[in-house]
Amino acid sequence: MGVFDIIVRYREAFLGGLRVTLSLALLTWGVGLLAGILLGALGHRYRFLFGGPLRLFAFFLSGIPFLVLLYWANFPLQVLLNVVIDPFYTAVLILVVLNTVGVAEICRIALDDFPEQYLLSAQVCGLTSRQTIFHIQIPLILRQILPGLLNLQVIMLQMTLFASLISVEELFRVAQRINATIYKPVEIYSALAIFFLLICLPVNGLAIWLKYRFTRNLSEK
Amino acid sequence: MVSQFGLNIDLQETFQKNNEIGIIMLIGRNITKSYGEVNVLKEVDITISPGKVTVLIGPSGAGKTTLIRALALLDPPDRGRVEVDSKIYNFPSDNHKIENPPWPHLTVVFQQLFLWPHLTLRDNIVLPLKLNNIKIFDLDKISSLFKMEEYIDRYPNEVSIGQRQRAALARAFMLNPTYILLDEITSALDLEQSHIILNYLILLKEKGIGMLVVTHQIEFARRLIQCEEGDYIAFLGEGGSIIESGGVNLLDNPKTSRLKKFLSEKPISDIT
Repeated sequence: MGVFDIIVRYREAFLGGLRVTLSLALLTWGVGLLAGILLGALGHRYRFLFGGPLRLFAFFLSGIPFLVLLYWANFPLQVLLNVVIDPFYTAVLILVVLNTVGVAEICRIALDDFPEQYLLSAQVCGLTSRQTIFHIQIPLILRQILPGLLNLQVIMLQMTLFASLISVEELFRVAQRINATIYKPVEIYSALAIFFLLICLPVNGLAIWLKYRFTRNLSEK
Repeated sequence: MVSQFGLNIDLQETFQKNNEIGIIMLIGRNITKSYGEVNVLKEVDITISPGKVTVLIGPSGAGKTTLIRALALLDPPDRGRVEVDSKIYNFPSDNHKIENPPWPHLTVVFQQLFLWPHLTLRDNIVLPLKLNNIKIFDLDKISSLFKMEEYIDRYPNEVSIGQRQRAALARAFMLNPTYILLDEITSALDLEQSHIILNYLILLKEKGIGMLVVTHQIEFARRLIQCEEGDYIAFLGEGGSIIESGGVNLLDNPKTSRLKKFLSEKPISDIT
């Protein structure tokens, strides 16, 4: 039984897993990007209130493996709080927190490092704050952060795979289940790779297109 | 109406505009500025009148750029008062935000190259005009005047420093300001371009635009002020205060030993 035979034969299981993986990814991307951009802007604007705590939180978060966070949120935390949360939402919560903090840090750093001279130019040219944000800051910052943001989103997609370890029925777990039934690891995990490629390729393609469409080498020539 | 460099300049228009405003002058009074414990400016008084040129000379680190930034309210003074026509800004101020800012009525051309890198030179010039609802006219003539036709559609990083300097000047001029503060704008230009800029500044002066020009090119300063009443040169010393000021004769007959020393040591890049 080849890779495509397995995909055809277990298509319903794979599609179910794909649906869960995409749901995880879309929620992580959507909420993480929106909340991250907002938090990053707040971290830049209110350095003591948001910026400092954000940096500290990001620092600790970067030192804790994702799996530990996931397990901790799925078992001890729920015991401590005396609640039972669906593993899917637990995974979403942890992925969203990671993505939000990652996006926020990318945005905050870009805003903090934004060259002041471009703002001064805008001021003396009579641009309002709003005009400066929309015509100068956002275009320049987007060019700077787009590659990093999109790379982070691809990494987040790949991290959805860990949700299988707390029993979320996403693609990897489906593949594991099928493998437990027919034991064809090479073909099954190759099929899994094809699914991930199919999701990642458009995202990577979008990243490349955006890079060529909106970014330009600004170094001296 | 006069026509110079292919541009039609209505002299009355600017003066009339100024008269409608009331008091017409850019004044800095007792401008004092410190960075930490370093006193950069000490109670500096300076005046720029419409249609007149004030040239600021002085050694590096004396605070010339700081004075420009303070007058332009980009880095407001710790103490003092800035008057831009009828608008008065007193410092220290309770409000950190400048209310009713004077830009682009008062604008600045910086020594460094502050063009926006994501826009072509043309867009760098046109964007502020569009956003300020200023009618775009004579862009081709300005482009021709500054010999920018060949590279106006390139990005700032694709042209030389001198070409960027010209674009920055063109951007400021097109905003139709009443006052322009120019911080060593010819430092990256060759003699021919400096000469073009000089002639264009004289034209702007005739148009009624008041200018504060910081320069290290003494001959450039001499030609710019042309012994006209109202034009003057101010020498800013290391202590951050105006040591001496006066007309163009100041350059030939300095009274203070400090200015004498400064002028004698300064290599003069003559514009001939």
